[in-house]
Amino acid sequence: MKKKILLATTGSPASFGAARVAFEMAKRYDAELLLFHVAGVPKKGFSYQEVNDVRSQETVQVDDDYMAWVEEELKNTYAKQLEECKNARIILATGLPHREILRAARDEDVDMIIMGAHSGDSSDIYSKGYPGSTLQRVAKAAKCPVMTVHRESASYMGGFSHIVFATDFSKQSESAFKYALSMAKEFDCEMTLFHALDITSKVLAQSDIEDKLITLRKRLRDVYGPKMGDFKNFEVDVWEGNPYVEIVKIARERMADLIVLAHNTRELDPEQARMGSTLEQVLLRANCPVVSVNRPDKV
Amino acid sequence: MPEGILCNKQPIVTDEQLKLTLGDKSGKQYYAEMEQLEVDTDKLWSTIQNTMKSRLKTWLNICAKCGLCADSCFLYECNDRDPRQVPSAKIHATLGEIVKRKGKVDNAFMRKCMDIAWSWCTCCNRCGQFCPHGIDMGVMFSYTRGLLFSQGFVPWELKIGSGMHRVYKAQMDVTTEDWVDTCEWMADENSEEWPGLEIPVDKEDADIMYTLNAREAKHYPEDIAEAAILFHVAGENWTVPSEGWEQTSLTIFAGDWEGCKQQVLHVYDAIERLRPKRVVGTECGHAHRATVIEGPYWAGREDGQPPRPYIHYVEWLAEMLRTGRIKIDPAKRIKEPVTLQDSCNYVRNQGLKNITREIMSYLVEPGYFVEMAPNKEYNYCCGGGGGFNGIGKYRPQRNIALLKKREQILATGCKLVVAPCHNCWDAIRDLEEEYPIGIRWSFLKPLVIKMMIVPDHLKPQDEEGEEE
Ligand code: SF4
Ligand code: SF4
Ligand code: SF4
Repeated sequence: MKKKILLATTGSPASFGAARVAFEMAKRYDAELLLFHVAGVPKKGFSYQEVNDVRSQETVQVDDDYMAWVEEELKNTYAKQLEECKNARIILATGLPHREILRAARDEDVDMIIMGAHSGDSSDIYSKGYPGSTLQRVAKAAKCPVMTVHRESASYMGGFSHIVFATDFSKQSESAFKYALSMAKEFDCEMTLFHALDITSKVLAQSDIEDKLITLRKRLRDVYGPKMGDFKNFEVDVWEGNPYVEIVKIARERMADLIVLAHNTRELDPEQARMGSTLEQVLLRANCPVVSVNRPDKV
Repeated sequence: MPEGILCNKQPIVTDEQLKLTLGDKSGKQYYAEMEQLEVDTDKLWSTIQNTMKSRLKTWLNICAKCGLCADSCFLYECNDRDPRQVPSAKIHATLGEIVKRKGKVDNAFMRKCMDIAWSWCTCCNRCGQFCPHGIDMGVMFSYTRGLLFSQGFVPWELKIGSGMHRVYKAQMDVTTEDWVDTCEWMADENSEEWPGLEIPVDKEDADIMYTLNAREAKHYPEDIAEAAILFHVAGENWTVPSEGWEQTSLTIFAGDWEGCKQQVLHVYDAIERLRPKRVVGTECGHAHRATVIEGPYWAGREDGQPPRPYIHYVEWLAEMLRTGRIKIDPAKRIKEPVTLQDSCNYVRNQGLKNITREIMSYLVEPGYFVEMAPNKEYNYCCGGGGGFNGIGKYRPQRNIALLKKREQILATGCKLVVAPCHNCWDAIRDLEEEYPIGIRWSFLKPLVIKMMIVPDHLKPQDEEGEEE
C-alpha cells in the first residue's frame, strides 16, 4: 500500500521511535524508505554556507566534507536497520526543517511522512528532535498522512491491532477517516470511531451533556456507518472532556496502537497554533504512533 | 603568484568555479591565495582614470578633513570613536591613497583597503547628510569596492555572491525550474485556505509584475505565498516572471559593476517581455536600490528610470490600505509598543519615510507606535548593511556594529520591531542572538495577513467543522 515513506530524522535518540516504526513499515510494505535529514538552518543571510547544526546548534560550514560526515553519522546510527532494509536512500538538505521536509515530500511524491515530535522551548531542543512548530507546519501543509512517534515506547512492534479514529466532523476528518479505514482493512484490526465533546469552555448541566452524547453518537453512526462498507469490526463512542485528554484516554483503554486524526487548525501562525492544538497534545501524550491527515491526497 | 585558483581578478562565471570556491571552507584557501595576489598597478590606475568621475575627484579634493562627519557614522561611534573610523579618514586611507600614488600600491595595502571597505563602512550614506560639502562616503566606498573587486580583493562570500548572480541570475543557486516549481508549490499548499489562490507565471500585460529575493525561493517560500495571498485579497491582476524574478544584487555589495548591470537587465528584460503596468518589489532594501534607484544607470537608461514604474512593497501596501482594497480589522491592531526600522536603502535613498509611517498608522493602535531616535532619513544602519551581514571574516566587526541598533531599540522600550527589509530583518535577528534583549521582529506581510479582514467570498467554503 505505502510505496514511499519519508522518515524525517535528526538522528538523535528522540527520533529513534519514529525510525523504528518507519523501518518496520518499510519492511512490511516493501516500501522505499527515504532517510531525510536537515543538516542545519541557514544562519547568515545570503551566506548560506554557514548553518547552525541541527543537533549541536553550533555554527558549521556546509561543504562536501561536512555533508559526507553527516551522512556517515546517519549510516552508523541506523546501521542495523539499514542492513535489513535494502530499499533505503539517504537524503540531506540544509534549510528550515519544516520547509525542507515538505519540499522533499513534494519532490519525491512520498506516501507518508514519519517523524519524531518534540515540543517545548528548551534551547537544546534540536538535540531531542524537531521542535513542535516544525511538526505543526509539516502536519498542516503535507499532502500525505504524517505519522509522529513521540517516544520509543510508543513505537509499534508489528502490525496494528486497534485503531482509534478521532473526528471533529471537519472536512479534513473525512480524509483522515478514509485513511483510518483503509489501514484498518489492511491490517484487519479493530477500529474505534471516536468524538470528544469539548466541555472545557462552557458550563453544561449533566443532563445536557448526556443528551449531547446521545446525539453525537448517532451523528457518528450516521456519518460514518454508511461509509464502512463491508468492514464490520468497529464501534463508536463519544466522551466528554478536554478533547486531547479524552482521545489519549480512549486510546489507552482500547489498547490502541494507532491514533488517526485530522490536522485542521485554522491558526495561520504556527507558533500560536502550537500549544493549544489537540493534535500536538495527543501526540505528545499518546502511547502509540499518531497519524494526522489534512488533505484528501494520498489516503 | 600573480593569480590564485580561487582568488584572482576574474569574476566567477562558471558553475564549476562556483562550486570550487564554495567548497573552500570559510575561504581559507581563498584568503591564503589573496596574500600572494599581485596588484596590477597599471590596470588599477587606468581603471581609475577611466571610471572615476569628476564628482568623486572633487569630493576627494575638497574634503577639508574637518571631521564634521565623524559623529554621523555609527561605526565610528560603536568603535569607541576611533579616529580612524571617521568617514573622511577612512576614504583618505583607502581611495585617497590609491589615487595619490597613482595606483602604485601593494598587496598588503589592498588587503587593508578591503578590510576597511567592507567592515568599516556599510555604504549606508548617512554621513553624506552631515558633511557641509555633501560628500558621501557611502558612494565613495561603493566605488572603492569596485576597484578592489576588479583586482580580486573582495571577501570570499561576496566573490561567491557575485558568481551566483552571473551563473544562476540569482544570489542563490535557484534555477528557473526551481523557481517556477516553488510558485506552483506555494499556490498549491495554500489553496485550501485561500480558494482560488494563484501565482501566475509569465502572464502578459498584467497590472503588476512582482519581483523578489532569491532567499525567499530558497529558504522562505512562505514569503512568496504571503505576497500571493495579499495580491489575491487585494484583487490584483499580477504575475511573476519565470526569468528575471530575482531582484537582489549581491553584485552591488561586491563591487561587481558588470555583474550589477547583467542582473538588473534580467529584470528589465522581464518587464519588457511581459509589459506589466507596474512592477512591485518585495520587502528588501538593497534590491530596491539595485533595480529602481541605481539600476537604470547601470543599464544605461537615459531617463534614469526602470522600463515601467517600479515601486517598493511599502508603496504598494500603503496604497492598498489607503484605498481600502486591504482592510485591517481594528480589533486586531497591534496594541503593544512597536517600532519601525527605516531601511537606508529606500528611506534615506528614496525618501519613503512617510509612507512606511502611513502603513504603521493602519496597523498599530494609536499611541503604540514608538519612533527610534534618530529616525527617518537620519536613522542608523541596522549594522548589517552593505554585505556586512554575510561576511564570515568580518563577523566580529559586524557584531560590534549591531550595538547602535541595539541601543536605539532599547531606548524605544519596544519588544516588537517591524523591519521591511530582508537585510535589516537579518541584522535584528542576529542582534537578538548576539545580545539577547527579548525582542521580536517581523516583515509587514505576515502582520498584515494576521490583521486583515478577509472578504467572505475569499474564505474557504463548506466550512463544516465543530457540531452545535
Ligand atoms: S567629508 Fe565633509 S564633513 Fe567629513 S571631513 Fe570631509 S569635509 Fe568634513
Ligand atoms: S556611509 Fe555610513 S558607514 Fe560609511 S562612513 Fe558614512 S556613515 Fe559610516
Ligand atoms: S540593511 Fe537595512 S539598515 Fe542596514 S544598510 Fe541596508 S537598508 Fe540600511
